[in-house]
Amino acid sequence: MAGVSVAAEWQLLYNRYYRKPELYQMQWKQVDLTRNKVACAPFGGPIAAIRDDAKIVQLFAESALRKLRIFTSSGRLISETVWKNPGGRLIGMSWSDDQILVCITQDGTVYSYDIHAELINTYSLGKECFESSVVECVFWGNGVVCINEAFGIFAVPDFKNHRAVKLADCNLEDLPHCIAVIEPQYTMSGNVEVLLGVGDHVLLVEEDGVQQLGVGIGPLQKMVVSRTGKLLASFTHDGRLLVISTDFSNIIFEYTSLLVILCATVYDEPIILIPECDGVRILSNTSMEFLHRVPDSTVSIFQIGSTLPAALLYDALDHFDRRSAKADENLRLIRSSLPEAVEACIDAAGYEFDISQQRTLLRAASYGQAFCSQFQREHIQEMCKTLRVLNAVRHHEIGIPLSIQQYKLLTPSVLINRLINAHNYLLALRISEYLGINQEVVIMHWACTKITESLGIPDASLLEILLHKLKICKGISYAAVAAHADKNGRRKLAAMLVEHEPHSSKQIPLLLSIGEEDTALVKATESGDTDLVYLVLFHIWQKRPSLEFFGTIQARPLARDLFINYAQCYKHEFLKDFFLSTGQLQDVAFLLWKESWELAKNPMASKGSPLHGPRVKLIEKAQHLFSETKEHTFESKAAEEHAKLLRIQHDLEVTTKQAIFVDSSISDTIRTCIVLGNHRAAMKVKTEFKVSEKRWYWLKVFALATIRDWDALEKFSKEKRPPIGYRPFVEACVDADEKGEALKYIPKLADPREKAEAYARIGMAKEAADAASQAKDGELLGRLKLTFAQNAAASSIFDTLRDRLSFQGVS
Amino acid sequence: MAQVPNLDNAPINLTTIRDQSQKELITILKNVRGKKCLVIDPKLSGSLSLIVQSSQLKEHGAELRHLTAEPVETDCTKMVYLVRAQLNLMKFICSQIHNDTSKGLHREYFLYFVPRRAVACEKILEEEKVHELLTIGEYPLYLIPLDEDVLSFELDLAHKECMVNGDTTSLWHIAKAIHKLEFSFGTIQNVRAKGKASTRVADILNRMQAEEPVNTSDMGIPEINTLILLDREVDMVTPMCTQLTYEGLLDEFLGVNNGAVELDSSIMGVQQEGKKLKVPLNSSDKLFKEIRDMNFEVVVQVLRQKATSMKQDYTEISTTTQSVSELKDFVKKLNSLPEMTRHINLAQHLSTFTSKPSFLGRLDMEQTLVEAQSYDICFEHIEEMIHKQEPLINVLRLLVLLSITYAGLPKKNFDYLRRELLHSYGFEHIATLNNLEKDGLFKKQDSKSNWLTVKRALQLVVEDTDTTNPNDISYVFSGYAPLSIRLVQHAIRSGWRPIEEILKLLPGPHSETKKSGFASSPSFDTLPGSLNNSEKVAEGRRSLVLVVFIGGVTFAEISALRFLSSQEGMAYDVIVGTTKIINGHTLIQTFVE
Repeated sequence: MAGVSVAAEWQLLYNRYYRKPELYQMQWKQVDLTRNKVACAPFGGPIAAIRDDAKIVQLFAESALRKLRIFTSSGRLISETVWKNPGGRLIGMSWSDDQILVCITQDGTVYSYDIHAELINTYSLGKECFESSVVECVFWGNGVVCINEAFGIFAVPDFKNHRAVKLADCNLEDLPHCIAVIEPQYTMSGNVEVLLGVGDHVLLVEEDGVQQLGVGIGPLQKMVVSRTGKLLASFTHDGRLLVISTDFSNIIFEYTSLLVILCATVYDEPIILIPECDGVRILSNTSMEFLHRVPDSTVSIFQIGSTLPAALLYDALDHFDRRSAKADENLRLIRSSLPEAVEACIDAAGYEFDISQQRTLLRAASYGQAFCSQFQREHIQEMCKTLRVLNAVRHHEIGIPLSIQQYKLLTPSVLINRLINAHNYLLALRISEYLGINQEVVIMHWACTKITESLGIPDASLLEILLHKLKICKGISYAAVAAHADKNGRRKLAAMLVEHEPHSSKQIPLLLSIGEEDTALVKATESGDTDLVYLVLFHIWQKRPSLEFFGTIQARPLARDLFINYAQCYKHEFLKDFFLSTGQLQDVAFLLWKESWELAKNPMASKGSPLHGPRVKLIEKAQHLFSETKEHTFESKAAEEHAKLLRIQHDLEVTTKQAIFVDSSISDTIRTCIVLGNHRAAMKVKTEFKVSEKRWYWLKVFALATIRDWDALEKFSKEKRPPIGYRPFVEACVDADEKGEALKYIPKLADPREKAEAYARIGMAKEAADAASQAKDGELLGRLKLTFAQNAAASSIFDTLRDRLSFQGVS
Repeated sequence: MAQVPNLDNAPINLTTIRDQSQKELITILKNVRGKKCLVIDPKLSGSLSLIVQSSQLKEHGAELRHLTAEPVETDCTKMVYLVRAQLNLMKFICSQIHNDTSKGLHREYFLYFVPRRAVACEKILEEEKVHELLTIGEYPLYLIPLDEDVLSFELDLAHKECMVNGDTTSLWHIAKAIHKLEFSFGTIQNVRAKGKASTRVADILNRMQAEEPVNTSDMGIPEINTLILLDREVDMVTPMCTQLTYEGLLDEFLGVNNGAVELDSSIMGVQQEGKKLKVPLNSSDKLFKEIRDMNFEVVVQVLRQKATSMKQDYTEISTTTQSVSELKDFVKKLNSLPEMTRHINLAQHLSTFTSKPSFLGRLDMEQTLVEAQSYDICFEHIEEMIHKQEPLINVLRLLVLLSITYAGLPKKNFDYLRRELLHSYGFEHIATLNNLEKDGLFKKQDSKSNWLTVKRALQLVVEDTDTTNPNDISYVFSGYAPLSIRLVQHAIRSGWRPIEEILKLLPGPHSETKKSGFASSPSFDTLPGSLNNSEKVAEGRRSLVLVVFIGGVTFAEISALRFLSSQEGMAYDVIVGTTKIINGHTLIQTFVE
């Protein structure tokens, strides 16, 4: 059977099979793990190696200077740098979750490197570590705990913060046997907790306290905290293996004999174990292997003698390939459980590192699927997709040996980020495209790196190179790339790039930051987004002297109008300066005139107060400015009249001792005078402002009707023949409901139609009809008839409803 | 019946849009924990009444206040300002915070801008040194469904700001609102615009589509087929005329605000001394939906008929024996009694205005002005109105009509009337006149008028209009077909091309674009611009036209559009978008300072 050779490589341990396929033959030469301090990143990450200065080693044909070298998991050198850092011996070195290499030296200095062996930053753990050397470091994904010679314990809880804290003093007299750390994310307090194996017990050290735990279980030689921080595995000096919950409340299990001595025994060279979420990678000088439990699906297929459906399906494919009829027989046997067999083959394929094995398993799945009526076909497609990605990154040139479980835990987007960081842009781009993930991140990072590394390439050619790639990705932020170019001192390139940015809201702030205000103003105006125009406007306003600013905006109508709007609301005086500088005197005049009203609205400006003086002055100033241009003669005259009116009104208030004149119109002033019986004053206002006879008649008639002085009205009607006839008199009387008075004037109306309507309005139907017939206007007659049609009385509720509608509609 | 209208019958899913806005507002309130004082600018508060009931806001611990110049009296330590991004409102906020500081009150201040933050506003806050005291956020409310077929951008000053102040902020807002609609309903394929502002909006919309493309692939067929953008400037005649539809008249005389009229309770037959009553007016009221668009004259007849038939039913019920099912029908009819009463009350109240001789006189004058044949009569009429000191706005409405139809007044007349206006109403109205002149509404004659040509070519004045069984949109003004809607009628039917010559006589450029790239529609050869027949029929559904009025639209115009889409053989539904519902009064009011 085909499975025999596969299962032969497994090892049974209790009731589980384990296997350790070889991932790579290491590509490096002359790397001896014993001579080096080595740090390996999980998730198939890079390996950092540096000659161990704690050991005495013989130098071969090499420099005495140490080199920090960074390799892929396949042993390909990514980068190297000469280690020249002061600070004494290198105590600890480890990769963070973000794939930053953190190195800590004796004096407590922390050096961070990226995978290109570029020093990113350095910081210190503090004075105490500087004075008493660091002796041991324990790292976790995002932080580290150190202990120094004075037995002080220090922690960097978050590598991003570059901040060290000292934990509570636990008065040690000797170095602890062993140290373990519970990461902040798994502790109750959210702060890091350190476990120290001291004497026969364990000390739990936090920032603000020490607790003694598990008295009598030790002494412990070694402690390891589980991935989720819940369990602690420890090894006692008398050879027991204990698994304890991290709060030491109960012992989960205890072995007295050594069980897991799986690997070390068979290796004749030094190895390093790299823990992963689903197994452990074993690194030796020459190879990397992956020790993990054989997954159930794989067992079901390849276990020797397995007759499970998956095994039969796999076997069926083999028969099929050999054109054996037994294939069909196999299928018949497992018909009912075919879907689960297919599922198992797909699943098992995912766990394989060997490409041909993956292929065989997937073919088996696909073969079985053909006989399943209802099967989620996407499963195979999905697995093929995943495996393509995994095989691509596992390639020894890339050297990221992710298992499928690690890949799922890591997520595709993080994987892409790692590829980007390693400058594997093409692969990152292809994977993004393949998985339908936005390629923007890849292209953006590429473009920025390209700019940084292309100091020698002239702007125009670099622009071309960049544009060629940037256009792959719709919606990419050209402004961000431009900002990067600007940061790298390539302002001209930045300007060229930002030209391509379609989002005005991103483009304009950048144009401002690179000093291209005028372009920014043009672009902002084009965008139609007034908020952007304001942004540029305020920027220029702040930056340039007033006159230059005025000149700039005067040429741009939208900017100018927005400035005027803003200034009208908030910078009144500055607006005047603007109008004066551009010679718009009439606008200054309008502003002054408006100010005079503002003064009037001011509650302090009680009528007749000295504030009238300033008001009149403002208006006269406005009048003067209006008169400078001949297009504004009308305004000039109006302002002149306004000033005159205010003066007259002021005088009237003084003489009548009534504060009722100021700020009423000329017509109102005349009416008020007549109502007060001051006909001379009314006449004076009329003459001063050359009020026409027509207006005068309407005003006086209405004013007299207001005070119901019908005698005066009649007298007025007889003064002379009214220039607009007797209609005003009729209207005034009708409106005041004075029929008798109205009848004095109706007969004098010249137009019979007017006469008819007037009669109708006071309810004299017959006279109205007479007048209408005199006018020979049928339509008028009809309309009048309607006016007199009266409703019948209502009898019931519905009648009421209906009758209330018996009104005349509109014509 | 609630002021928040029911939107279930809308041709596109407006409910989700409104729900979204509601949710965003509630989230803002939730984000500020505990008790808080919500200070809303008064105009915004009116708009919000169409989205959310104030009780819902109170449920989230908000004490409601209006933003004014006066300091807010409250015990709350958290102040949440919800304001439109307007410069003058910033001063109020600053002075309130300064007031608190001077009293030693320490409060937390939150400021939410509607619809988005504005650099200019924040500049004032910075200069007043209150910016750092504020937590600033945005409430992206770009439009509000007023009814199942009307959307408002709630930009009441859009026309004046654009035309008089040169501030085009509203245009960006409109484009953004339409673009947001596209994210819900798909990219609009045909865009036709007439007027400076409209073509600019079409242009900005284009840019937005380039900057932030709507993902068409997972959207299916765009729900809105055509967008027609029209500047109010193109037709200032229509809003100056008195609307004669039921809803239009209600607005003219009683003022419809945010889908409701407020009037004395006695008018509605509720005896509560001096109490005001808010009557909601929207399609949720079945009777109103039926009669809102009718000419008021006809509404009176319809209501009378309904009352009569009810009375008949009642008589039958009481005199003859009826089957149970007949009784049931009758009772069902009785359910409409409250609606009947409501509208009879309203109609009766309106008729007290419409029966006045002065009202008939005004209609006569408007008719004469629109016909534009008797300049002198009109001029003298207006002159007399000024002399009689009739309400300024009424005078200006007619004056604007005169000025537009004659392309301005001869200089002598122009200066004379301006002087008479200032003398009669006060010199402060120089600003009003200046605004009207800048907008071109009341100006010196500088060219020959096109009005007669336009009127004739588009048949704006229709003799013998039948208001009962209308066959043309002219019924809404009893004989005058609104120019704006005539243009829309042409735009929908055949695009701009056939009337290009006429368009050139009206203010502003026009544009027409058709977006390609919608693969699934079969490419029949049709006239460019016309609604593609296959598009109409193939999917077995009516296509949808969004008509946007920049600068506002009147109820009568909306009625005319509804009339158009209800005509036989018109395979499209219309949704109206507007900066605000206006009438001649409210429009002129924006110019009065």
